[in-house]
Amino acid sequence: MDLIFDILGSVLAVGPVTAMIGASILGVFIGALPGLNPVMAIALLLPLTYSMQPLVALGMVAGIYNGSMYGGAIPAILLRIPGTPAAIATTYDGFPMAQRGEAARALKIACWSSAIGGVASAIALMTIGPILARATLLFGPAEYFWIAMFGMASIGVMVGSDAVKGLMAAALGLLLGTVGLDQLSGTPRFTFGEIWLLSGLDLIVILVGLYALPPVIALAEAADIKGLSASDLKLEAAKLPWSDIRAFMPTWLRSALIGISVGILPGAGGNIAAFLSYNAAKSASSDPDSFGKGNPQGVAAAECGNNADNAASMIPALTLGIPGNVIAALVLGALLIHGLQPGPQLFHQNPGLVGGFMVQMLLTSLLILAVGGAAATRVFAQVQRLPGVMLVPMILVLMAVGVYVINGRVIDLWVMFAAGIAGYVLEKVNVPLAPIVLGLILGPMAEQSVRRALLISRGDPTELLTRPLSAALALATLALILWPIVRAWRAQKA
Amino acid sequence: MTDRRQDIVLGGVFAAIGISAAVIAAGYPGASGVYPMALGCVVAALGLLVLGRAVLSGPGKPRILIDHGPRVAITLGTAAAYLGLVPVLGFYLASALLVVLLPPALGFRRPVFVLVNAAVFVGIVWLVFSIVLEKPLPTPFWSAY
Repeated sequence: MDLIFDILGSVLAVGPVTAMIGASILGVFIGALPGLNPVMAIALLLPLTYSMQPLVALGMVAGIYNGSMYGGAIPAILLRIPGTPAAIATTYDGFPMAQRGEAARALKIACWSSAIGGVASAIALMTIGPILARATLLFGPAEYFWIAMFGMASIGVMVGSDAVKGLMAAALGLLLGTVGLDQLSGTPRFTFGEIWLLSGLDLIVILVGLYALPPVIALAEAADIKGLSASDLKLEAAKLPWSDIRAFMPTWLRSALIGISVGILPGAGGNIAAFLSYNAAKSASSDPDSFGKGNPQGVAAAECGNNADNAASMIPALTLGIPGNVIAALVLGALLIHGLQPGPQLFHQNPGLVGGFMVQMLLTSLLILAVGGAAATRVFAQVQRLPGVMLVPMILVLMAVGVYVINGRVIDLWVMFAAGIAGYVLEKVNVPLAPIVLGLILGPMAEQSVRRALLISRGDPTELLTRPLSAALALATLALILWPIVRAWRAQKA
Repeated sequence: MTDRRQDIVLGGVFAAIGISAAVIAAGYPGASGVYPMALGCVVAALGLLVLGRAVLSGPGKPRILIDHGPRVAITLGTAAAYLGLVPVLGFYLASALLVVLLPPALGFRRPVFVLVNAAVFVGIVWLVFSIVLEKPLPTPFWSAY
């Protein structure tokens, strides 16, 4: 009990509270600006934390992380540009809602869903985290490989209307993920002698191109020279009545569980949590066809899922020293800066600090309701009041600056441009873009896992299937791929 | 163009990408090439599946690729020119030109609004990226002299 009071006393001191509030506002701002992302923001922040108290530094990390994961929903809903990769699934129903004048309602749903997902995730981190983290010790390279494959198959099959094209896009994404130096042997692959390709295709560059340029072209094609009026946006009127909250409860519960489960699996991030939550909500719905056309449940599922991943992704990072995603890796960096060694000993040697960080993850999730709900959302929502043709060059500029600041290379601007044109054409011919992005993210992990598994088994491929967990994941992946074929066969028979 | 023809082209392009990747990957030493080669084969196989499915399907239905060709050409052409000018004129000047010139090219006829918007917008970008975040952005070529 004394420890709990000590933790609360430390966390609620002026410094950490100020850090959490300021960072949450900054986080929403960063997440809402396409091209900026929490990874970049936290990476920029880390060198500044050397002179800070650990709980001030970690409070800032928690605020930026949770704030930006919600902030990513703002452009996803208003402009169909995911501010963060985890907000891709939010675009599916958020943007159609905005198009029919329900932007404020969609933002409110995103705000509540993000907060609830974040709180659930923080509670999981504080309570069942250590127990769940122990389970991941059972995972070997084969399981990691199948987790990646399961995620790819899930997205390839479930997103879009054509499973074959979805799987084709997923395979292309995995292939693009092999560009650059081979992590295990150092062999350059598909670099064509270009030094800038040695580090591979930058995810954010591709993401901004794929997801920002097609809507920019669509805006130009529509040539809207009037813009939406304030009444069209209904920003002031939107509320989330109790009946809505009740209706979202099953979705929030399901998505929170999915997000937490995905979060504790190393390598799987908020984007996968959002996609799986979205697909689960779609499958559970009595009207699945309305998903992708502005169903509020889609926004609730995606946002709750991706925020439920946040704190949960810290479970393997804090307990095992294995980062669940890039941000968790940066948190490990923040701990190391302050001389703290992540791993099982951290809980015994620095319980106040670990507990404090867990509480900060909880409090910054709750802060979303205040910061995201009131101020930033309304500020950023105003961009829709500008005529569409004015937004076209402005988004192009934001894309350019966002992409340029990642590596400081002009070539990245052209890669983004090429990816955007490809994305525009692929969308028109019903090839979903999400599997390409997911392939880029999971590709390197999948390859390293399968090669490690084969190294361990001295080249015996049955190693990938002989362990019960890997066999179960392989079967689930196969079932996912075969499901559309069975469904089509049944439909034909009927 | 019908969806059938589009899918034939799409499948052919993916098959070509997959086969090319597999052939290139076959030349990589040791295990480095096995995974990309396998992926190339999968991409090629799925591309051929899309192509074959389209060939065997009926006459197909029209599917619009570009809703408004001239506007798309103006936008992409201007965007390409902008990207080309960023390293020459510097980020801010090139961006200001883009924000001022593209809306009129797309039919927007309120010059004062455009100019004010451009000034405010570029100012905000400068404040965020150059002042707050202190990110180095491309400068005009003459700044080197």
